[in-house]
Amino acid sequence: MTGPGARRCALAVAVWLLALPAGMAKAADPNPLELAVKAAFIYKFQFYVSWPPRAYTAPDSPFKLCIVGDDPFGNLIDQAVSGQRVGGRTIAVARLSSVSVDDHCQMLYLGTEDPRLARQELSAVDGQPVLTITDAISDDSAKGMINFVIADDRVRFEIDDAAAARDGLPISSKLLSVALSVRPLP
Amino acid sequence: MSHSKEDRTAKDPPQSPSGCRRIARLAGQQPPPAIRTRRLAILSIAVLLIARAGNSHAQSVAELRSLSLEDLASIQITTVSKSTEPLSDAPAAVYVITHEDIVRSGATSIPEMLRMAPNLEVVQLNATSYAISARGFNVGENASLSNKLLVLIDGRSVYTPLFGGVYWDMIYVPPEDIDHIEVISGPGATLWGANAVNGVINIITRKSSDTQGGLLTLGGGNLERDVGLQYSGRITPDLTYRVHAEYLDYSALKDENGSSADDGWSKPQGGFRLDWTPTDNAVNLEGDIYTADENPNGYIQGRDAQASWQHQFQNGSNLQIQAFGDDEGRSATGGSGFKINTYDFEAQHSITLGINDIVWGAGERNFSYHFENTALQLVPPNRDLNLVNLFAQDTISVTNGLKLTPGLKVESEPYAGVQYMPSVRLAWKVTDSTLLWSAVSRALRSPTPVDESIREYSGSIDVLNGSALFLPEKLTAYEAGARVQATAAGSFSISTYYNVYDDLRSIEPSATFFPLQFRNMLGGHVYGVEFWGDYRVTDWWRLTAGFNLQHENLRFAPTSSQIGGLAWVADDPNHQVSLRSSVDLGSTVTWDTSFRYVGRLPDPVVPAYAEVDTRLGWQATEALELSIAGNNLLHPQHEEFFEAGETDEIPRSFYLAAQWRF
Repeated sequence: MTGPGARRCALAVAVWLLALPAGMAKAADPNPLELAVKAAFIYKFQFYVSWPPRAYTAPDSPFKLCIVGDDPFGNLIDQAVSGQRVGGRTIAVARLSSVSVDDHCQMLYLGTEDPRLARQELSAVDGQPVLTITDAISDDSAKGMINFVIADDRVRFEIDDAAAARDGLPISSKLLSVALSVRPLP
Repeated sequence: MSHSKEDRTAKDPPQSPSGCRRIARLAGQQPPPAIRTRRLAILSIAVLLIARAGNSHAQSVAELRSLSLEDLASIQITTVSKSTEPLSDAPAAVYVITHEDIVRSGATSIPEMLRMAPNLEVVQLNATSYAISARGFNVGENASLSNKLLVLIDGRSVYTPLFGGVYWDMIYVPPEDIDHIEVISGPGATLWGANAVNGVINIITRKSSDTQGGLLTLGGGNLERDVGLQYSGRITPDLTYRVHAEYLDYSALKDENGSSADDGWSKPQGGFRLDWTPTDNAVNLEGDIYTADENPNGYIQGRDAQASWQHQFQNGSNLQIQAFGDDEGRSATGGSGFKINTYDFEAQHSITLGINDIVWGAGERNFSYHFENTALQLVPPNRDLNLVNLFAQDTISVTNGLKLTPGLKVESEPYAGVQYMPSVRLAWKVTDSTLLWSAVSRALRSPTPVDESIREYSGSIDVLNGSALFLPEKLTAYEAGARVQATAAGSFSISTYYNVYDDLRSIEPSATFFPLQFRNMLGGHVYGVEFWGDYRVTDWWRLTAGFNLQHENLRFAPTSSQIGGLAWVADDPNHQVSLRSSVDLGSTVTWDTSFRYVGRLPDPVVPAYAEVDTRLGWQATEALELSIAGNNLLHPQHEEFFEAGETDEIPRSFYLAAQWRF
């Protein structure tokens, strides 16, 4: 919702953007629906993954969703998880500049599209029961267990079932069936 | 409808409403679809929903997270069509039946799916026929007289232009291929045109890119047996296709005396869809072909093809062009029957200019019919009719959250000449979760060939004639409503309306009494409330409730003969209640149960009834789903409409199905 003032401003910006190549205009304009769908997916993933008890520091500690680096979502993630519980646990959203084992995240979202940065963060929790989610990474070696991709104008995701299993996170067949592609168990 | 019924009807005394019934039926016995106006699914209220392909009518995160994984994965995140207003912002009474709702309900036909919409009346008449309407004016056995609803499949109109009603037995889309169904109660004439008087039903099929792979469906029960096979493939990354074929077989029902109504039928059918989505464009081709034998001597057939192209310009404006052709026919015992050919072309452009979101467009439709004249005739029996329209609508963002949408459609109609259908809608987004809306609109039910050119004989007596003096039926509708996302788990919608009708169809005597004539000496008002709500009790349990109340107050003009009375104009329950429960039992079992209560129909009288449907689905393996469903479980049989000697009993039924993906 924007007021008329904002609207006029938007028009002026739009006119100016016409001078830019379409690709640049798109890059400058994150799609709110795309972000909302990703936020809804991030909320839903937890229902299709089992965390071992060792993933939590205490029986009553909250389920911790960590967002590392740029957070494109604004408050969408917070809206998605508000008032919700995972297996009786409340959900806490943490925004971190970088992640370590001591952060005890159960789920980790990496907003970066830079494969080097992604690899660095992923390696910090390697071997831990942390469901790692990357976004639009094309380099296989820098993808999380789940990697969002845009296919046919939809938000889809790839799953590395092998990596998840290696770190003690079984993923339900239901989630695998919706994935665009799955790297199967060895 | 059966042959024997035709015969019975023919013997009815001509001055009774049976003449009209017979028209309805005859029509009911015959043909085609399409015609009359409607505006492509595109803009505004309509648009809003439609455009968002996939089940993305939801837009807030709270709404999105209640969708299934599959539905989330099918949401188109940018849409070529500009109409991107989310459902939660639509200033109209819109109920959306999602793909998941359809699949989980186990409904195999469009009318049974439509029972899920709390803002519709659905009456099953016999094995082939249903009467469906919104906000009143549903007339059972006179199915063809339920003539104030517009029904579209992917923007293709499927009601018959001969009399304005819908032959539901001619419409089939495999449930798996339906993306969602938008049910708009209330007028949509400004965008869609002249038959969108009391409501619009928009059936949106899934893109072929969303149904990739093969699917074999086998189902059977005491009332129907189905087999379906389809395959969707990808030719290039942005070019996909689907082909499908089905065979449907329906048992005869029993009449009120317990003997067979002899109305069983079977229908082979096939179709295709092609989607091509190069950058900034979307091209779609689709088509269907079918034929059906309907006992005792009925036969229907049809084929249609359509093409649409949407293009997004660099400046953000959007152009959509669509064309379709449709060719259908029905025949019944005794040689009655008809064929209709329809060609339709529409173009629409949407653009944002400052605070104005403008949609405008034009369309042209041509339909020609051939009527096999028997005792029931159209004079002349062949005609070629043209319809042209222009429309424009502007959604003005007046202040933050307040949008005013004036619109106007001008239509040049074959019988009534130039007609104007204006509307003004106001939407106020009070908070992110609360929308208040209101609207004033004018809609018309245009004269049809039956209104103008019908001639019915009883023996050698010319009993009933259409009239060149017949006027459009007119509605002025006042609506207001609210849509609220009350909590993360619950949302509800409430809509109220006050509809004023003028020039409704009546039957009047001529100077010599016979032939009677169709004229416009009936009017009145209808008001009511529609409510529905959705509550997600837990992540695995969802409840949906619906309720509507309406009051009809129709009056003949003082000089009207009142022949037939109101019984053939409207026979509606003044209230209906529905409840639906959707439970996930683990990750592989779904259990859905729905309850409906339909109030008494006043004339002809049909007692109030309550019924329950339930379905259990089991995803046995990744590829195989098994399901069992029981429908109308509370009683051995019930009636949804009454007509002496011709009432079909709707029995308790069961249905087993298997779906194998490959």
